Amino acid sequence: MIRFQCTVQEGYVPLELRGGLANSIEDCCLTVLGSSQGPVTVNWIEIPKGFGFRGGQPSSTSQVRGQIPDGCNPDTRALLLKKIGEEWCAITGAGQDELIVSARDESWAG
Amino acid sequence: MPMYRCMIPKGSLNYSQRSEIATAFTDVHCGISNAPRNFVHVQFFEIDEGTSVQDSHGAGDLKFDTPFFIAGGNRAGRPPEVRSQILDGLVNRFCEIASVPKSDVSGYISEAPASWSMEDGQILPEPGQEPAEWYAHDAVAD
Repeated sequence: MIRFQCTVQEGYVPLELRGGLANSIEDCCLTVLGSSQGPVTVNWIEIPKGFGFRGGQPSSTSQVRGQIPDGCNPDTRALLLKKIGEEWCAITGAGQDELIVSARDESWAG
Repeated sequence: MPMYRCMIPKGSLNYSQRSEIATAFTDVHCGISNAPRNFVHVQFFEIDEGTSVQDSHGAGDLKFDTPFFIAGGNRAGRPPEVRSQILDGLVNRFCEIASVPKSDVSGYISEAPASWSMEDGQILPEPGQEPAEWYAHDAVAD
């Protein structure tokens, strides 16, 4: 089971793009990790204006954070993060400096 | 990273307070860790009493029993006392700016390997292994 949570700032990722973004995250996961690692779920959180900050200033940064099956090697994980980042920026038109992508192990308790 | 998510009761903090807390958290984190200021993210979530809040990766609910809660996420690799120092600093500044007693605020900072995250198109370096160009990130406008 793979889960991703996309946290976006109000006004920066239109609703009509989110289906395509979710599909691209799923495609990246299944391509890089293998189709046997699915299914993939993607949910969304929108931060209202005035509630998200970066470096103390209002933020435009999106965060795509997920959990993937344990045992992923570093190169594969890095490839997954980069592919998701590239797809996200291509679809939204955002710069890489407006995006965080992370994928932690499913069992990671922090 | 770092990411600090503040769970707050609905209507409890105005924009000025939220902005001041975000700046204060950036000061605390960067004062202790020497991270670029532009990498510090602070978000506020207004919640109703008894409402559950998912963790940052959508993998379960956050548990807390105070009106205000700070959920942090940092790169792993710093000594535990540094993590405590950061959290203490965040709670202290939060209480000052929000004018709430410390008994109303709790928090926790989780950590994960740096290589599990990518920011600005780059896999994050481990704490203490940041290249010189890392600090150019402060020039990135957001």
